Amino acid sequence: MASGALLCHDRHSVQLPFSPVSDKKRILVADDSETIRALLQTALESAGYEVDIAKDGLSAYELGSNGEYDLIILDQLMPGLLGLDVITRWHEEGLQAPVLMLTGVDDDRTAVESFDRGAVDYVRKPFRITELMARIRMRL
Amino acid sequence: MRMFTNQLVPMALLVIFFIDALLLAGLVVLKSLHRRHMRSHDVRRHEYLGLLSRHISFENYHEPITETMAEDQAFLDALIDMRNAITGDEVSTLRRIVNHHGVIERQMRYLDSSILLSRRLRAAVALAELGDEISAGTLMRHLDDREPEIRIQSARGLGRIQWTPAIDQIVSRFSDEIPWVRVRFSDTLIGYGTKATWPLLAYIRINHRFDSKGPALALRTLAQIQDDQAVGPLLEVLDETTDLEIQIATVDALSELGSSEALPAVESLLDSEQWELRSKSASALGKLGDPSAIPRLMTVMRDENWWVRRSAAAAVARLPEGIEALYRSLDDEDPFAADAAAEALADAGELVTARERAEEIGVENEPLLAHMGSDVQT
Repeated sequence: MASGALLCHDRHSVQLPFSPVSDKKRILVADDSETIRALLQTALESAGYEVDIAKDGLSAYELGSNGEYDLIILDQLMPGLLGLDVITRWHEEGLQAPVLMLTGVDDDRTAVESFDRGAVDYVRKPFRITELMARIRMRL
Repeated sequence: MRMFTNQLVPMALLVIFFIDALLLAGLVVLKSLHRRHMRSHDVRRHEYLGLLSRHISFENYHEPITETMAEDQAFLDALIDMRNAITGDEVSTLRRIVNHHGVIERQMRYLDSSILLSRRLRAAVALAELGDEISAGTLMRHLDDREPEIRIQSARGLGRIQWTPAIDQIVSRFSDEIPWVRVRFSDTLIGYGTKATWPLLAYIRINHRFDSKGPALALRTLAQIQDDQAVGPLLEVLDETTDLEIQIATVDALSELGSSEALPAVESLLDSEQWELRSKSASALGKLGDPSAIPRLMTVMRDENWWVRRSAAAAVARLPEGIEALYRSLDDEDPFAADAAAEALADAGELVTARERAEEIGVENEPLLAHMGSDVQT
C-alpha cells in the first residue's frame, strides 16, 4: 500500500481545502497520539508547510529549542514532559516561536494557564481540522 | 519390583521434562507469532491513518479503500481513532466511508451472531465508538446481553448517539446484578444530561420502597446531572423514605444541587437517630452554603458521635463567618466540641492562628492546647 502518494488522481484534479503557502513555513507538531500526528501532518503538508514531528514532551522540547519554527503545535498531555512544562521552559529560554496548545482536557483553568505561560492560541480536542488550519493561517 | 520402580521414575521424569519443553516451545512460538501479528497490525493501522487523513484533508479525494481493507481490524481501529480525534463536518467524511463500506452493518452482524466472544466484544466496542444511529436497534437489544462488558458498551454506544428511547431502558437496568455494570450505566445516563432527570426520578419514586441499591445509584446519578428540577421531587422522596441508604443518597444529591429550598428538610435530619444521617446532613449544610445553619451546627458539635461532631465542625468552617464561630468554640465548656473546632480550624489551614487565639482568650483545656501544639509548624 502506497503511503503519501495519490493513486488515482493527479494532485491538481483534487480540490485542496487549504490554500498552499508561497514560502515554506516550518511547523513542529508535538503530540503522543499517532492519529493526531497523521492528521496534522497530512493537512499541513498539503497546505505547503514543512512539518517536523515529536512524539513526547522531551523530544518536543529539544526540537523546539534547537530548531527554528514559525509555529509549534503542542499537546498538553504527553509522556516525559507535559505541554505546559515544555512551554514554560521555552518561555524561560526566550523562545520566540508562537505556540498553539492542543488539549483533550475540558478545563478553563488549563486554557488560562497556557496563555499565562506564553501560548498564543488554545484548541480543544476533538477539533475541526478546517478550523485548526484557519487558526494556523492566521498566525503565519 | 524395585528395579522396575527405579526405571519407571526416571522415565516418567524424562517424559514430564519433554512435555514441559514442548509446552514452553509452543508458548515461545505463540508469543512470537502474536508479536508479529501486532507489529503487522500497527503498520497497517499507521498506513490506514494516513489514508483516512488524506480523505479528510482533501475534498473529493478518491484513493481507494478496498473491501479487504474495510474488513481489516486495523482499518476499524484507525477509523475509531480518527473518529475520536475530529468533530464537525469532517465526521461526515468518515461517515461516508463507513456507510459506503458497510462497516457498521458488519459489526452489527458480528455482535448478533458471532460465536467468538472476542469478536462480539470488539464489535460492541466499535459500534460504541463509531456512534452511528443505524446501530441503535442492535445496541438496545444487547443491553440484556449475557456478557457484562457488551451490556456496558451497548449503553455507551446509545449514549454516544444520544438515543433518547434508550434512557428508560438503561434506567430500568439499574437492577443489573453486577455492580460495575450499574455504575457504567450511571455514567452513560450522566452523559445524557437533563434528558435523564425525569426517567431517573420516576425510577426512584417507583422503586425506593422495594430496593435501595438501584434508587441510591439513581440518586447519585441525579447529583451529577445537576438539574434543579429534581429538587422538589427529591424532597418528596426524603419525606417518604425510611431507608437509610436512600436518605443519605438523597441528602447528598440535594447538597450537590445546592438549592436553599432543601435547607429545612436537611436541617431537620440533624435530629435523626442514625449517626450516619446526622453526619451526612451536617456535611450537606456546609455545601449548601447558608450561614443561618451555623447555630444549629454548633449544637451538633456536641453530638455523642465523634464523626458527627467532626462533620458539623467541618461544615461550619465552609460557611461564611464560620471560621470566627469556630474560634469562639475553642472556649466551649464541652471539650469535645472545642476539640472538633480545633480540628476543623487545622483542616482549614488556620492552626497557628487558632493556637494564638486559644492562648489569647485563655483557653485552659490542656489536652486541646497540647493537641494543637503538636501540629504547629514553626
